[in-house]
Amino acid sequence: MNTELRIGVFICHCGINIAGVLDIKGLCEYAKALPNVVTAQANLFTCAETGTSAIKKAVKDNNLNRVVVAACTPRTHEPLFRASCKEAGINPFLFEMVNIREHCSWVHRHNKDAAQAKAGDLIRMAVAKAAFLEPIETFKSKVEPLTLVIGSGIAGMTSALALADQGFEVILIEKEENMGGLLRHLHKIAPANVAASELIEEKIAAIKKNKRIKYFTSAILEEVTGYVGNFSVRFSCGNDSYTCKVGVIIVATGGIPLRPEGLFNYDGKNVITQSELEIKLKKRDIEAKSIVMIQCAGARIPERNYCSRICCMVAIKNCLYLKDIIKDAKIFVLFRDIQAYGVENEALLLKAREAGVRFIRYRPDTPPVVENGKVKIYHPAMGKEIFLPADLVVLSTPIVAHDDAESISRILKVPINGNKFFLEAHAKLSPLDFAFNGIYLCGNARYPATVREATCQALGAASRACITLSHDTIERVGTVASVQEELCSTCFTCIKVCPYNVPYINERGRAEIEPMQCQGCGICVAECPAEAIEFKYISDKQIMAACEALLAS
Amino acid sequence: MSIQGLIKKTRVSLCQDCGICTGSCPVSRVLPSFSPRQMIGRLILSADLDMEEESLREEDIWSCLTCARCLERCPSKVEYLEFVRAVREEAFRIGNKTRYAHDGITQTLVQMQTAGMPQSKTAWAREAGRIQDEGEYFLFVGCLPYLDVVFRELGVSPLGSAGSMLKILNRLGIDPVVRNEERCCGHDMLWNGNVDLFKELAAFNIELIKRCGCKKVIFGCPEGYLTFKTYYPLYFGELDFEIIHFYDFISDKITNNAFNLSPVESTVTYHDPCRLGRMAGIYEAPRKIIASIPGMKLKEMERNRESSVCCGVSCWANCSSYSKQIQMDRIKEAKATGADTLITACPKCNIHFTCALSSSDIEMEVKDLTHVMASAMNI
Amino acid sequence: MSKDVLVIGGGIAGIQACLDLADQGITVYLLERLPSIGGKMAQLDKTFPTNDCSICIMGPKLFEVERHPNTHLLTYSEVEAVDGEAGNFMVKIKKKARYIDEDKCTACGLCAEKCPVIVPDQFNMGLGTRRAIYKYFPQGIPSVYTIDDSVCRVFQGKKCKICAKICEAEAIDYEQKDIVFELNVGAIIVATGFEVFDPSDIKSYGYGTIADVITALEFERLLNASGPTRGHLERPSSLNIKAEIKQTEKKIKKAKARLKSLEKKNQGSTDEARKTLAALDERLSGLKAKEAALGDVKDIAFVQCVGSRDLRYNAHCCSYGCMHSVKEAIVSTEHGSEIRSTIFFTDMRAYGKEFHEYFLRGGAEYGIQFVRGRVAEINQDDHGRPVIWCEDMDARKVKKLPFDLIVLATACVPSKGIEKLANIMGFDSDQSGFVKTDPNKPTTTSAKGIFVCGCANGPMDIPSSVSMASAAASMAAQTVKGLG
Repeated sequence: MNTELRIGVFICHCGINIAGVLDIKGLCEYAKALPNVVTAQANLFTCAETGTSAIKKAVKDNNLNRVVVAACTPRTHEPLFRASCKEAGINPFLFEMVNIREHCSWVHRHNKDAAQAKAGDLIRMAVAKAAFLEPIETFKSKVEPLTLVIGSGIAGMTSALALADQGFEVILIEKEENMGGLLRHLHKIAPANVAASELIEEKIAAIKKNKRIKYFTSAILEEVTGYVGNFSVRFSCGNDSYTCKVGVIIVATGGIPLRPEGLFNYDGKNVITQSELEIKLKKRDIEAKSIVMIQCAGARIPERNYCSRICCMVAIKNCLYLKDIIKDAKIFVLFRDIQAYGVENEALLLKAREAGVRFIRYRPDTPPVVENGKVKIYHPAMGKEIFLPADLVVLSTPIVAHDDAESISRILKVPINGNKFFLEAHAKLSPLDFAFNGIYLCGNARYPATVREATCQALGAASRACITLSHDTIERVGTVASVQEELCSTCFTCIKVCPYNVPYINERGRAEIEPMQCQGCGICVAECPAEAIEFKYISDKQIMAACEALLAS
Repeated sequence: MSIQGLIKKTRVSLCQDCGICTGSCPVSRVLPSFSPRQMIGRLILSADLDMEEESLREEDIWSCLTCARCLERCPSKVEYLEFVRAVREEAFRIGNKTRYAHDGITQTLVQMQTAGMPQSKTAWAREAGRIQDEGEYFLFVGCLPYLDVVFRELGVSPLGSAGSMLKILNRLGIDPVVRNEERCCGHDMLWNGNVDLFKELAAFNIELIKRCGCKKVIFGCPEGYLTFKTYYPLYFGELDFEIIHFYDFISDKITNNAFNLSPVESTVTYHDPCRLGRMAGIYEAPRKIIASIPGMKLKEMERNRESSVCCGVSCWANCSSYSKQIQMDRIKEAKATGADTLITACPKCNIHFTCALSSSDIEMEVKDLTHVMASAMNI
Repeated sequence: MSKDVLVIGGGIAGIQACLDLADQGITVYLLERLPSIGGKMAQLDKTFPTNDCSICIMGPKLFEVERHPNTHLLTYSEVEAVDGEAGNFMVKIKKKARYIDEDKCTACGLCAEKCPVIVPDQFNMGLGTRRAIYKYFPQGIPSVYTIDDSVCRVFQGKKCKICAKICEAEAIDYEQKDIVFELNVGAIIVATGFEVFDPSDIKSYGYGTIADVITALEFERLLNASGPTRGHLERPSSLNIKAEIKQTEKKIKKAKARLKSLEKKNQGSTDEARKTLAALDERLSGLKAKEAALGDVKDIAFVQCVGSRDLRYNAHCCSYGCMHSVKEAIVSTEHGSEIRSTIFFTDMRAYGKEFHEYFLRGGAEYGIQFVRGRVAEINQDDHGRPVIWCEDMDARKVKKLPFDLIVLATACVPSKGIEKLANIMGFDSDQSGFVKTDPNKPTTTSAKGIFVCGCANGPMDIPSSVSMASAAASMAAQTVKGLG
């Protein structure tokens, strides 16, 4: 930019929010005298229609090429003013905003002189910085209208079908020989009271006949590169290797119930897991008259310190099915805290109690002991240890992450937590997204979930994916980090510090940052020992100019 | 019925094991070893493990005051009282009996009533007012004449209350039937597990009232009222006469200013008896009566209506040091309201509070509501 | 036929559904009954298990809804009637008059500063006050003021119009009328949320009679920096005393002035006036002593399952209560180093991702005491402190414990308008009164083309609401694309 700098400063009264404390006229006069400032104007409300029109008019009248607004917080109003700049024909990043409300008139309302001086300083700094602003362009990238769904349990299949129903093509890969995931082995689903096999067969049939879905079983994910809208995927299927381009990826790799080796005398015969019980229930192969279930078998203990969410309801559901089959069965459920959250679960718990299922609480310091045909437990009401008869002991074990969770996390460059469940972008507001754009999450891979919850998340993940898929291209603002190759010493620092795993070493042996992937956090910029990484819009030159302006007072 | 059957029928199987019953229980607060929750837990377990009899030998079965405070709050709507009553029946059958208070005198009196011995207990009534042998209204006097004899030394006057009740009815133009043949209502036997004796008494009373041609039976005592209203029909089906509590009966008439009450300057507090309040749902009639007396100010105790606490003993059984503590706590609560008089609506509460006060230095008067009402009417 | 979607309810679920659809290029109408979108989440101070400031993480979403080219915000509006069928619904909507020109109002706030009418603030659960002209909450979207015509002097036939005089943007319009209009949409998402159970129904807990027994949502506002106490943790009883002190001081000022004028005029005796003043002075010193005696809040109790898991009130579990209390107890420690919390519970339902770990941290790092036992009753001790009676089930003992503040974790109950909406729209409700869904299709209601998400469907935490909102968006998108 060799053209002459022409800066316009616009100062907002914000009613009396600012003008009640600061002398706006004085600030205007002050701003006018600053280097490169062509005009300085006051507005009653810069954000109102009259205010933004005034900016546009001033740009035209004075041939401005930089705009500085001194008003409230950029958090809420910067997008508005940037849009005004764009409408006036200047690049929206040739704009700088100063907060003289929160930072001056509000916090220093009792010290008007200091507030006035500070406002002057801030405006001077912004004007100095504005001189070094550079136009930043948005760049566009094409979106492959195709989705890779990893995992074909209830979550993966639901996502795939939802996307296909919206007209998008899907590639579904499953590492097992058959589709269906955990549900293939289960008996019935409560409270819907449908056979798990029925549910899963229906979905599998729908997937098989859907023209938009290509499915691969015994398929192993091997490599993923690229970024949102434009991922390259390689997976193998037996001896064949496949590569494809997809726009988005849904992780629905599921989980697996813990095999309780060494816990509570587990033997798979008289002491079994809930999943093993479901197989017996399916076959109606149960004769036990006295059954003891033990909750939190291997969960909520120091080595696996989480609650697996669904095991209590699995136990309660199975108690009811057991009671259906063996009317006079005595069933004791030994538990720590019953997790029957919500409406339906609590209703089911009540139903189990009505059916005569007995619930006995135990403390982790006095866990049940399984002996031959008996379970020894400290009974809190008795105040002593008692023996419960047990023809069959059923252990409610937690859902744990699959062994390959770590390798998938590495391939996709998405994080997992301490228990190896995939870690979403934000626990509250982005439960189905990864911090890495274009990859989504649902089902047991995220955290243990009921069929209903997994279905819900799968539909949700499909919705998130559709956001990308419904655009031909995606735009990305260029406020990103970029490496000046000639300065890079290939020290790997940026690769280590980037929370999004974006930098890589290119074929020239230098670090490179793919602008479509960079999230603009700036960590690499600060850490690079060679100062080889530059961040547009917050460059060293700009920051130094602002600081020098401050010190020059 | 088997304990297993009872567990199902009385919803005990729905217990959430939350402890709200024990936290609410007046006995548990002074006798930590007693816990309704744990008792349920033990009985269920022993029934499940086929050790019913062992659990029926528990002494705790008799520690419960059957005050219904837990019942009011149970989130699973466990019918704890019904459960306790039924368990007591089973326990009694195998010889686990309660410790009777006052050397079992009241229980002996009841036994005597079923032995066919003639009774003469209407003399007081003939002195106090007008009664008949047959008619529309039956005034069920209950155990007041006996209590008058047993507890006269405490300075209570159960017969005085009975007389007041009769006089008030007379003033309303009602000459009720009062009969020598009337028997104990059976309340204590029912809760002491002696259901056979209860049934015997009940059958006799029902027959008597029928014989007198009465259509309406008035009760001054909450226990008699509740027993007739709830438990007679349980064993004998629907009764062909109406059950009315005296306070309900007269509070309806207060609005008509039928009583011409004179002022009584005092600050009082009112104790809701378990049988009248929580178990029969009569909370407002006694308060309406108190409010109608000019000059009388009612200060509520913190624990009133549904939250009221028991007077410490029920069914003349298990009176002990913890009963005393429950009583004293309640009297202190009454005192804290700034009231000088504690009004009760049950002859047994009246006796228990008076007894507790007699060995303390708290200054507080305990009065029966009927008596208070009669004074205001200048009776 | 229409390709547009109507989302009813501007809480986090409605907002997420709206944004998902809008980002997919679908035109969305987001309808909210209150003056601002934000819902219950906006009222929370922080969120578990990350202790994120609730409004800080939600604010950008509110803003995004307003700025998105595909969204139309219909705040302060209600659904009156729905006709038609999936793909082609005609929805009659009433937009209530704000008496403010939304395009002109810049939310500068001058009007509210000068408005003479002071009423309890609903957003702050009645713990603070607002004016008759008000913004529902500081970060509320749309960022405009509203005149509450049920209290504004102008609408009570009194002279005022101060706000019109002071408004430099000339946004006040007392003549504005409710507008009823029709919308044609292809699908509807119900995201009407929930209400908190009114615990005054449970007399033994003393809510409404004991000042320092409050609900969890009230506690959120007491913790919040933009709440009625600016984030200073104060008990309502001390707020009451402070208000009384203020009032008494005003009276003293008046009494002094009166005395002075009497002395000046030198007419008649001043004894009466002196007596009044002395009595007021005595009252003031009494109140001040009482305030000083109260001291800071140190012991806080959290009572779980208030009106939940209780067949007398609501059979269901509120799903988030345990974690909500653990969070409030953890956050409390930021408000005073001596604050200790005790949580009374039956089952600790820490079943979500990272919840159990958070619960353990609450005990180990923040010293929260956990007492297993459902609270039986709450009384007051001789000093007026609330006292909890409860069986400590682990210790097998009945305990009587005094606290400075007792927080009730109240049940999650269906929102008040849901029954009417069910009638208008023809969907079924479940046994607890929430919107019923197909057991195999978690967001599908019994009415075709109408989907549900968030707590309108039943109690759930924020991540579940957000996931479900995206799911409902997916179903609605399928419907309007005519492919599902």
